[in-house]
Amino acid sequence: MTLTFQSVRVATEYDEEGMLVFNGNRRLVAVLTRLSEQNEIAPGQWFLEAGFGRLGGISHPTFANLETAQVWINQRLVHQN
Amino acid sequence: MTVRPSASHNLMIRKLESIVSLSDEEKQALRGLPIQVTSLKTDSDIVRVGDRPSHSFLLVEGFTCVYKLTAEGNRQIVAFHVPGDMPDLHSLHLKVMDTSMATVTPCTVGFIQHEALIQICDRYPRISAAFWRETLVDASIFREWMTGIGRREAYNRMAHLLCEFQVRLSAVGLAEDDTFDLPITQTELADAIGASNVHVNRILQELRANGLIRTSGTQVNVPDWQKLKEAGDFDPLYLHLRQD
Repeated sequence: MTLTFQSVRVATEYDEEGMLVFNGNRRLVAVLTRLSEQNEIAPGQWFLEAGFGRLGGISHPTFANLETAQVWINQRLVHQN
Repeated sequence: MTVRPSASHNLMIRKLESIVSLSDEEKQALRGLPIQVTSLKTDSDIVRVGDRPSHSFLLVEGFTCVYKLTAEGNRQIVAFHVPGDMPDLHSLHLKVMDTSMATVTPCTVGFIQHEALIQICDRYPRISAAFWRETLVDASIFREWMTGIGRREAYNRMAHLLCEFQVRLSAVGLAEDDTFDLPITQTELADAIGASNVHVNRILQELRANGLIRTSGTQVNVPDWQKLKEAGDFDPLYLHLRQD
């Protein structure tokens, strides 16, 4: 599935730089935020701040870059568990 | 690390006396329990789901957790234990372990054979009642955590957990002047409060920014106990500490 990304500012009060992720039908499936370089957990990585539908579970992984985020999101959207 | 057996016994007695009163004779009987003390590294399983232990353990030094793994391999920590606790005391009667227990720091634990525990319970009904009470308090802690995980915000759950540590560690003399040592990783805290470790990291920053905690290394200081209690919706009733 072709995902599209759209930059957004997210009011997390910590890491504002974000990305809306839309599925092939232009429906919002996830909000990612980029953790700051000072983050103690995963500096500079992308964090699944919120997911919807099949991504709306309890899993909130971090990704080294948007490509790996895209792969993970696609897998989740294809394989319902 | 060597701990004299008597130190283990005294710790066990101190813990039990935080929830029940014991006579001199009962304390003497507890001091006679054979305890095999051993040191364990961080992240060592002490008992696992499916085990049929022939002994229970007394936590002498360090912190342990009770956890379950989901089919996907996600860990939920359902309780932490602190020195003086006997986390798998219930295995005396529930023969097969339904949860696993592991160290989250280097630990000293003392194993006590079930046979010896049964004998002391048979001879001293009030010790039996004290052990029963210990496991009932464990169950009460599970209920409190379940309420938190289901219905409290992650920020409040973390504040609640810190309050719980403060009270439980104080009960065995391991917290002073509103300061205690909490050598537990953010990943473990995340697995306990059911949040991601990124969220836990933000929550700890927020608690610090709001003046509810001060941290230095693994030391946690609570400058305003009342504020932290309010943030955690914390009422120590569920810990059933002795009032007298």
